[in-house]
Amino acid sequence: MIKVANLSKHFGDNVVLRQIDLDIKEGETTVIIGPSGTGKSTLLRCLNFLEHPTSATITIDDLVVDANSATKKQITALRKKTAFVFQNYALFANKTALENITEGLITVRGKSAVIAKQEAQAILKSIGLADKQDYYPSALSGGQQQRIGIARAMAAQSKVILFDEPTSALDPEWVGEVLGLMRQLAKQKQTMLIVTHEMQFAKEIADRVIFMDQGQIIEQGSADMIFNNPQDPRTRTFLQRVNQ
Amino acid sequence: MQMALIGVVFALILAIGLAVVRTFKVPVLNQLAMLFISFFRGTPLLVQLFLLYYGLPRVFPILINMDAFTASVIGLTLHFAAYKAESIRAAIMAVDKSQMEAALSTGMTSSQAMRRIILPQAARIATPSLMNYFIDMIKSTSLAFTLGVTEIMAKTQMEASSSFYFFESYLAVALIYWGVVLIFTQLQVHLERYLNKAY
Repeated sequence: MIKVANLSKHFGDNVVLRQIDLDIKEGETTVIIGPSGTGKSTLLRCLNFLEHPTSATITIDDLVVDANSATKKQITALRKKTAFVFQNYALFANKTALENITEGLITVRGKSAVIAKQEAQAILKSIGLADKQDYYPSALSGGQQQRIGIARAMAAQSKVILFDEPTSALDPEWVGEVLGLMRQLAKQKQTMLIVTHEMQFAKEIADRVIFMDQGQIIEQGSADMIFNNPQDPRTRTFLQRVNQ
Repeated sequence: MQMALIGVVFALILAIGLAVVRTFKVPVLNQLAMLFISFFRGTPLLVQLFLLYYGLPRVFPILINMDAFTASVIGLTLHFAAYKAESIRAAIMAVDKSQMEAALSTGMTSSQAMRRIILPQAARIATPSLMNYFIDMIKSTSLAFTLGVTEIMAKTQMEASSSFYFFESYLAVALIYWGVVLIFTQLQVHLERYLNKAY
């Protein structure tokens, strides 16, 4: 469903991503792991064009975007198909929880305010935050903010939700509720691409695990394969270090 | 007073435009905006008013019919727009970068993101300094009398020189300015409280 071919990203002379190829199937949960500074987040940001890839062909359904000839219209179309969940939540500070969700529905997808509100309320209810709809982000806990962030992504009904270390900025006490919501999404067969350092969670939720190092995909396979029987020495070294 | 109120609206509109052009570094317009801001911040308001009212009509005869009031409003507008543009730009930059990214990631265009997410947040940050310029602008309307506008300062001078009550007249005009500014300072307090209430 989603096909990434030959994705590279250079920052000046610094090559952050080298010729990444990636296929994601519908309904699949893919988790990317690897050492810090390896380009995992940059890869995610390139898929949403928050970073403009130096080269890449990204295909989602019938939309084909080539990084070298991408028009604004194509980029917007791509962003509509790829929702993003940020490490620091990045909720709109001047909007309430409810408005954070309806904003994109109204401005981007052209839904009426009434319909957008109904949809947003249904989602808030499903994640147990119905009573917080009129709160501003600053009045919510980190865990609640991130769940609203995920709700915003869910509402967009994108093809895939990209999670950029969704629990890294959270106090430990809030990690559970965010991971819980992501499990719920995995059960509903929402296609997800997740960058995370939560290895236990990765093991449990991933249909497929990708190990990246130094801007490249080193190996990928089922969670069982990567965690219990890694082939590449770099994967082994990394897993040993995180399991210590 | 009327001069300041008209001026403040136009200056604000122009300043937002300049600030957005500067933030996005729109080619050509950005350079023009920089030149504009540099000139109007770099020269005294009095010089600008004289240039506009007495100078320009010599070169462009079409401007000869411009009355002193219009010239004053235009001068004040341009002068304060330059200052306000920079403080609005600073406010835009002070809004966390992730706000723009979050807006773009949902598929908004950058102008939608600007209008719906960034500028409302920048407004709150910019309000105190914009109010400063507004107060400065109210007081600067007194310069309009040098172009022959019979505003309060001009009237005071006429009054003073015919009655010889110089101290009383000028003290009165000072108190009037002070009073008006106090009223707006109060408004500012309420405005800030309103803007801060939300989040």
